[in-house]
Parts: sequence; C-alpha cells; structure tokens
Amino acid sequence: MRRVVVLALLLASLPLATATQESRLPNKAGSVRFAIIGDSGEPGTGQTAVAKQMASWRTRFPFEFVLMMGDNLYGTERARDYAKKFEQPYKALLDGGVKFYAALGNHDDGGQTQYKPFNMDGRKYYTFSPKRGVRFFAIDSNYVDQKQLDWLDKELASSGSDWKIVFFHHPLYSSGATHGSADAQRQLLEPIFLKYGVNVAFTGHEHFYERIHPQKGVAYFIIGSSSKLRKGDLRKSSLTVYGNDSAYSFMLAEIDGDELYFQTISDKGETLDAGSIKRAGDVAPNRGVTTQPVVPQSAPSPVQPGPGK
Amino acid sequence: MKPMRLVVVALLAAACSGPSASQPETTTNVALQEGARKTSTDPEVNPDAAAMAEFKARVDAYAALHKKLATGEAKQKETHDAAKINARTDALTAKVQAARADARHGDIFTPEIRPVFRRLLAPKLKGADGRDVKAVLKDDSPAPGTVPFKVNAKYPDSQPLPTVPANVLITLPPLPEPLEYRIVGQHLLLLDTSADLIVDYILNAITT
Repeated sequence: MRRVVVLALLLASLPLATATQESRLPNKAGSVRFAIIGDSGEPGTGQTAVAKQMASWRTRFPFEFVLMMGDNLYGTERARDYAKKFEQPYKALLDGGVKFYAALGNHDDGGQTQYKPFNMDGRKYYTFSPKRGVRFFAIDSNYVDQKQLDWLDKELASSGSDWKIVFFHHPLYSSGATHGSADAQRQLLEPIFLKYGVNVAFTGHEHFYERIHPQKGVAYFIIGSSSKLRKGDLRKSSLTVYGNDSAYSFMLAEIDGDELYFQTISDKGETLDAGSIKRAGDVAPNRGVTTQPVVPQSAPSPVQPGPGK
Repeated sequence: MKPMRLVVVALLAAACSGPSASQPETTTNVALQEGARKTSTDPEVNPDAAAMAEFKARVDAYAALHKKLATGEAKQKETHDAAKINARTDALTAKVQAARADARHGDIFTPEIRPVFRRLLAPKLKGADGRDVKAVLKDDSPAPGTVPFKVNAKYPDSQPLPTVPANVLITLPPLPEPLEYRIVGQHLLLLDTSADLIVDYILNAITT
C-alpha cells in the first residue's frame, strides 16, 4: 500500500515538473539569445542552484552570453575569490564558451574591468553589439559623472535603429523597501534614454525579481536575486507587473526582429515570469517619452505571459 | 517669389538648421551646464574660479604622477588570471604610497577649496531631493569605522564603495582618471580607484 502511495505521488509530480521546466521562448534560428543574472557574487546554495539551472536550461535554449548586473563579487576580490565566487559556480557555462558581460555594482572593485572573462575591455562603461541590429550599453551607475553621460549620449546617438538595451546596477524604478528607485540616477539617465529611444533596461541591486510596467515607453527589469535574497522586501506597487522575493532567479531572453521574449526562472527550475515586449515607432530624438516605446504583448506567440502574483 | 517656392525655401532652411539647433535641451544637459558653470575655472563665469583652478592643477598633478607610476609590473592589462590583477594593483599601491610618503591631509583639498566644496554640496541636501540623496548615502555606506580617514591609506577591499548620487556628482569639479569622489558618512573622500588609495578628504563636507 505504501509503495502505491509513493508511486502515485511520483506520477503526480511528473506533469508539474515538465510544465515548470518548459521553455516559453521561441528559440528561433538567427535570434539573439542571452541570459541575465544580478547580484550574483555571493557563494552559497542559491548561487550554486542558479548556476546549475542556467547550465541545464542552456541545453534547450542555447544562449550565447550572460549579462551581469553588478555585485559580481561580494567581499574581498583576491584571486581565490574570483575562483570561488565566479569561475567555479559558472564553470559549465564558461567551458561551454558562454561569454559574460559585466556591469559594476557598489560591491565591485574597478580591478574587475581587467578580468577578461567579464569582457569589459578595461572600462567601467562600454558598449557591444552581438549581432547587427542589437546593441547593449553597460553603464557604471555607481559613478554617473559628466564624462560618462557624454559617452552615453554619443554612443546612443550613433546606434541608429538598433535595439538599445542598457544594463547597470541601480534600478531607476523599484518597489524595494530597502533601496527603492534610484531617483538621483534617474534624473540624469532617463532623459538620455528617452532622447535616443532606449528600449529596455536591466538592473539589479535589489535582491529580488521585479518586472516594472514600462515607464515612458521603456521596459525595466530588476534581476538582483541570483545569489542573494531579501525576502519580504518587495512592496508591490503601481510599478509592479510581477515580482518575486522568495526565490533565487535568473532570466533568459531572446530578440527576434522587433520582439523581445523573456522567461524568468527560479533556482528550482520553475518559471516565475514570462512574456514578450514589442518595440514600435521610429527612432527620432524626442523629449519626455521615447519614440520607440515597448509594448507588452498580452498573448505573444508562441509564448504566454507568466503567472500574475 | 511664388508662394510654393517660398514654402520650399522655408522647409530647406529649417532642415539645414540641423537637429541640434531645433532639438530641445534635455534636463540632463541643463543640469550639466549648471554644474559646469559652478565649477568653471573662468573668473568671468565663476567667482570661485581661482580656487577651482588651483584644485584642478593639484588633481592633474596627481593624475600625472599616477600615470608615471602605473608602468611595468604596476600596469594593468586584461587577463584571465585574477592573481595578476591583484599583483599589479598591489604593485601600483606600493609605488604610489612610496612616491607620496610625505603627502598630508589638505594637500589637494586645501583650506581654500574646502568651503567651496561645502557650498557646492549643501543645496543638494535640502528639500525632497536632499532626502533622497541622504537616503542613498546611508543606503550604500560601508560599515561604520571601517574606512580610515588617512592620506595614503588603503580603502578596505571588503567594504562596498558608496554610490555617489548622480545629481550630486555633476555639481562637483570633474576629476581626471583614476580619481573619484566618494561620500562616507558626512565626509568627502578623494579616491584613487586603481590603487585603492585615499588621496585626500574633507571632514564634515556635508551635514546630514
């Protein structure tokens, strides 16, 4: 009788496991596929579990690179720390040829810019284009001075009709109780985002996941839960589309044409959130609102929106 | 001239004026221009120009010294080996500390420039924006007592670097690499971010 119960429980769990492990991304040939982690530099069970899930998911969704939202290494940054906090947990991905592109957080030393696996080219802010039509901009939100603002203005101005995706540590919009929105940074960065039609901003700092309602046409995500969690810190607000502060997580993303698909996955392989956004409009300098607003897709094909919470 | 031609000429003239002429200023540009005026070394636009020029000369001299020292074993270059990054940083730190063994508090933040910095910082700490600034400063602060206020001392590598709110940063004089400002508690640090050294500081630069 006991065996029957165990068997029944096992069978009951199978469909759930299959469902939670299901990719909601189109995985189209020629698309740009990448992952996002944030505040990932704390060794421990959370970091290990997230890294393992990333390696596992890559067998089904072969992402080529990973964006790091900063706080890549907590605490000291000796060689043993690079090994323990980055090289060992992400060994499977590094061995598989996955490139990492890091932004700096408030816990990161500038020496990281010289670490080749972070692909920063010796700079605290930089840009790269993995494929024609898509361009990423790593911003150092710890120190937004005039020099960096001038650089960002110039680089965005010359990026034409590319997808413009910025990533940095401090969230310009956040429902976190501990940190909240980085208003000072927003005062200076947002007008430049709007002027040149930035489409998406990925950030960290808050130790949870939050998808923000598009602000003035720009999509904002917080993924700061890849090795640390601050349970109960997310005070869902009018900004929040979906949030989770109880599970370690990472995000997968795919750009195909004018649509960006995303799927946020927990350390247990469960899908926390999924959906897509589509960019629309023409690139032209404007004021107050981006001229290439992103539009959340209510029923994108082939993926479905993630669970509400 | 026929009306149609007039319209064409007008349109052409508008097009030739270029995007920069017709483009509205962003609030970012306005803030940057305001910051540039207050930190200018031109006496015609800034009453504190002389102190600013002196400060600029001192930080430029530091940057030149740093550049001279950041060579050989102390020169950073990209590597897969984190031990090399550590070794080069350590070598640079030692070289800068040796070259500036006689450096004293106030060598760069001279008594003349300190009140100018306090004046520049004060407006950013008032009102609603000021509350946000104070919250950020408190939020990202290193643990109390961990940062030594001592010229040529190492910034503790286990502590976070406090974020400088962007609206505060643009009101301060720009710095050459590798120098950066940091605010710890009420005090303003001048930090060499490559050698991880405290170059100088102003105590009680802000009132919280």
